[in-house]
Parts: sequence; structure tokens; C-alpha cells
Amino acid sequence: MNAVPGLWRRWAVKLAQYASWVLPGAPSPWGDAMRRELDYIGDDRAALRWALGCIVASYRARLAHWPSFSARIAGRHVATSGTLMLLIGLALLENAGGQTPSPPPTFDETTCDVPDVSPQLRPRLRCGTISVPRSYDNPNAGRFKLAVVVIKSEQQPSWPEPVVYINGGPGSPLTVYAAHQARIPYAPRRDLILVDQRGTGRSEPSLCPDLASKLLDATLAIAATNTEEAAANRRSTYLACRDEAIAGGLDLRNFGTRVTVEDLEWVRQALRVERWNVYGESYGTTVAMTLVALYPDAIRSVVLDSVYPPDPVPPWSTTVNDARDAFLAYCARNQVCSTSFPDLAGTYQDTLAKLDQNPPVVAVPPQMRQPDDRVRITASLFEVGVSDLLYYANAYPTLPRMIQSVHDGDTQGLGAVLASQFATAATLNRATHAAVECRDRPHFRKQLPSDASVLDRVQLFGVCDRWSEPGPSPLVPERTKVPTLVLAGQFDPVARPASSRHVTALIGDSARFIEFPLIGHNVRQFSPCGARIASDFIDHPEQAPDTSCTHRMAPIRFLSKMQPP
Amino acid sequence: MPRKPNNSRQTRALLAALLDRSQTWRHGYDLAKETGLRSGTLYPLLMRLSEQGLLESRWQEAERPGLPPRHVYRLTGPGLALAREQELTAIAAERAGALA
Repeated sequence: MNAVPGLWRRWAVKLAQYASWVLPGAPSPWGDAMRRELDYIGDDRAALRWALGCIVASYRARLAHWPSFSARIAGRHVATSGTLMLLIGLALLENAGGQTPSPPPTFDETTCDVPDVSPQLRPRLRCGTISVPRSYDNPNAGRFKLAVVVIKSEQQPSWPEPVVYINGGPGSPLTVYAAHQARIPYAPRRDLILVDQRGTGRSEPSLCPDLASKLLDATLAIAATNTEEAAANRRSTYLACRDEAIAGGLDLRNFGTRVTVEDLEWVRQALRVERWNVYGESYGTTVAMTLVALYPDAIRSVVLDSVYPPDPVPPWSTTVNDARDAFLAYCARNQVCSTSFPDLAGTYQDTLAKLDQNPPVVAVPPQMRQPDDRVRITASLFEVGVSDLLYYANAYPTLPRMIQSVHDGDTQGLGAVLASQFATAATLNRATHAAVECRDRPHFRKQLPSDASVLDRVQLFGVCDRWSEPGPSPLVPERTKVPTLVLAGQFDPVARPASSRHVTALIGDSARFIEFPLIGHNVRQFSPCGARIASDFIDHPEQAPDTSCTHRMAPIRFLSKMQPP
Repeated sequence: MPRKPNNSRQTRALLAALLDRSQTWRHGYDLAKETGLRSGTLYPLLMRLSEQGLLESRWQEAERPGLPPRHVYRLTGPGLALAREQELTAIAAERAGALA
């Protein structure tokens, strides 16, 4: 008896689609691999038989990733259990009956709307969007469009295996900085791929875009007064955003590093990249490590610049204090610094005590929208400001002079420094930051002690336990075979060299660790030596990089003490 | 007694097919037709061989417009070595059978 023409084929497509979901680590290339063969099978009945086999294959793969169960049903029970699983699968298919097959990942090119692009760079840019599933567990949940920019190599043809740069945050935009990213190539002969992670930059969804400005006041209040009221205000600002996001139809479980990794894998497939070189920076290292752990076959090499490892991590205040102490100790050893600022460590502590007693008020630019355009510089706010400056190696020459000036009562330039710091912080989407961190980081669900440092009080403690349920943890690719380069800055206030060294040891023999003296966060950006080592490594990941330039780092050219007029 | 890995009849058939045209990238459906393995058996074997580093895979652009890229496979160096070893073992077993 002939079936209705095409009906078996449609069933075959649905079954193959179902098989893709069942596979562990979706979107696994194996799901696509099996499903796409259907287009090459002319006979509809043969296609249906193929698709039924795909379901069996997927359940077998799933069982293979579930060792205890797999072992239990090994041997003579396999056939029975396989049949049972197939029946369960078919039963579940009833729920999937109404959905259409998921289209394969595609790159939809658009015109490039990127600022500061030179006429030389413009023809090398490809801009567009890639639609990814909102939920990798529920293909019916719709799509998010991710903004993607590909910067073609200056010399054509490009070498195969491009570089994908994964930036930090989480919550920072990226594609808008494409012109900046093109200035120092990660690997000159390879294309560079930039993606705005979901909820950042120009990628969907738009998650409480004004949260950063709302949080500014709340954060300043915490720095000004260590009261429960200030903390509660900040918490309620976050939770109002959470409620707004949920009311707008967002499921906050669809965030987190594991989701971002699936997005990137989707992007790789859409761009038809067989293997790529991964460069993760700051939080981007969390994503990069998880990507290597889950999709090693698609990765030729990985650079981890300023590692932010999965939990457990020390409190931020501990990391900052270590970095600041190391910087102050370096100043004491440096002739120019110690001559101009003898006992800078003592001066710093004196400054905090003075600000505690008598916090001065400084003028700030109108864009900070503070009452009368003024901000009170408390000891806590100063501590946060100095911690922030430790990120940037180009701030080091002026940092001792700034501490000394504030100590001596000269706060004239401090308003501009603060404004610049808050402007930078405002580019981060705070809601996406919370959405990812609250899924990834169990430590934010703990109670902070009442005497906790301000550096910890401005984190997500007290927010995450009400934001969303915890998600699957980010991963460290222990014992991976993917060649890995780990870069750390000596004075990094958030990614301590000791943590990076520990991660390197966990990864094992495929990883090399390099510490850069006199550098803070983001080694490549602030060290030409680091940029060259990374570039050489990406081109020759199996070779030990020439690290001699790390021994020739120029000393910091400290500005001397301001002379009175 | 535990079974020797990669020594099942199905795995040997697949390795033999891949060895037969070892320089050619092979499609899943073609391998299924050649070996008589169903997709439910074939793909778990392909996945396992790939995880063991015995098989490499890549996406191959479609030969005709309108068709999707296909996942294609071929043996790696260690995969070729294993397939050849199994082939030699099979030949030796056949010879032993003939002499018996």
C-alpha cells in the first residue's frame, strides 16, 4: 500500500531531528551528520529506516556517556533496553510532533555598521547575524540573533583555521570594537571571528539595557555607606530587572557559559569552519576552557589570556589585595618610584584612613548624573578605584602619583579618573553579567560576612540566590590534547598568576604557562611581547614559543611626585 | 570475559571498508550500504572510533547545489594501523583454517 506521498519522508525528518536532541552535548556534529544523510537517500522508506536507526544511535551514544547505567545494561540487556529506549523516544515524539525541523546554522550577511573603520579595513569585513536556539533543550522556544563580524586576513588567501576571539565580562560588547580588534592581528594570516555573546552588544536579547546606569547610584551608595539599606537597594535594582526580563518572556536558564559554548559551536557550524583557534581573554577564558572540554575536535589551539577559572575562586578582595601588594612592593624596589614615593604602601593605608575621617567631595562630569555633579570620595570608593586601575598596565606609571596626590589632599584629577572608570564599566551589560555569573558561580549564593570588604560587597552576593537557579558548571579541559597557551600578568587584580598556574597544571602536558612581569589584566592588549608570543603560538601550536622577550620587559616609567607650583 | 575493544564483527567490517579506500573521504550512507550496517549501529561505531582518535571527520561541501554539506570520514594513522592489523589477523586466521 502506498502511503501519502512525502509523509514517510516528513516522519523521517522529524525522527532524525529527534535523534539530534537525544545526542549528548547538542548541537553535536553527529546529529547533523546523521540527519543530513537523509537528503542523499532517494527512497522515502529507506530514509525512514535510516532515521529510526539514528534514534537508536543517539540513545546508544547517550548511554555511552552515562557509564554506570551503560555498564549495568551491557551485554544481553542491550537489545531489550535499546528497544525500550526507542519506544520511549517514539512516545516522546508525540510532544515534538508539531514542531518543524530546525534549519541548519547559517550566516546571514548584512551591511557592516562598525565605527572607526578605515577604508583599508572596510573591504576585509563581513558582518551579519546567526540565529541560535534560545534554548538548546527546547527547539520550540524560538531563536536569538547573534551579531558576528569576520575580519578577513590582510593577506589573501587566508590560512585555514581562523581565530575566534572570546572576550570578557561576561556582558561586554565586542563587534562594535572590530576596528580596534583588527589593529594588532591575533595571527596575521588568519581570519578573525568576533561574536557578541547572547545578551551583549548587538546580539539578542536586549536585557535591561539601562541597568548599568541604575546600578551606578546603588554602587556608589554601597561605597559611601556600608549599610544594609544600601545593599538592599542595589539588590532590588537587580531583581526589578530580573522581573522585567521574565515578564518580557525570557527564561533566565538560557544563559551561562554552557549556553554560550553551544552558541559558539553553532556559529562555527554556520560559518562552515572545520576547526578554529580559540583566543579567550578574562571571562572569555571560562568559555574557551569549556569549549575545549566539550568540542576538542573542532579546536586546533587555544590561548587563555588572564584566566578566570570556574569556582571555587578566592574572594575578589583577596585577589585584589595580593595584586596591589605586589605592585606596591615593586614600587619599593624601583629606584624612581621609591625615591619619589618612599613607603607608598604606608601612604596608601594613610590615605584610606584620611578618607575615612574626612571624605572630600569632587566634581564629576554631568554624564555621571550625580546630584550637583559631585561625588564624595570615601575610602571604599578610593579602594575600588585603585583596584580598577590595577587592571590596566598603562595606568601604572601614574598610579603612585595619584595615591600620593589624594593623600596630600589634592583630589583635582580624581573626578575625571572616576568618570572614565564608570564610563568603561557602563559598557558592560550588568543584567547579562548577572544572568551568566548567577548560573555559573555557586559562590555568589553564599552569605557575605558583615565585615566583608567593599570589593566583595559590590559583587553578586545576595542577588544570585534570587536571580535564577544554578546552572551546569563551566569546565576545565583536564588532560586535553589541544595545545594550550596560558598567559598571566604579574599584577592582575582579578586573574592571579597563581590561579593560572594551577589551571595550567590541571590541563596537563598540552599547556604552557607564561607569566608577564609588570603587566595586569589582558596580557596581549598591553604587552607587545605577549601579542607576539600568542601570534607565534597560534601559527605553530606544537612548538615551544620563544619567550625571551618576557625577560626584557622595560621597567615601568613612573611619573615622579608632582612639584608644587 | 570482556570483549576486546574494536574487535566486534561490525567494527571489523567498518574498518575493512574504510581501509579499502583509505585515501577517500567516505559518507555515512555509503558506508552503511557497503557494510550492511544500519545507521543505529554504524554511527555509534563511527563516534567511538573518532573519540579514540582512529577516525577523522570533516564537513564536505555538497556536490550539487541545494544539498547540505555532508560529514565524511577516513582513518587516521593509528586507525589505518589498527585496520591493517585486523586485516592481517583475518588473513592469518583464514590461512590457519585452510591448513587445518
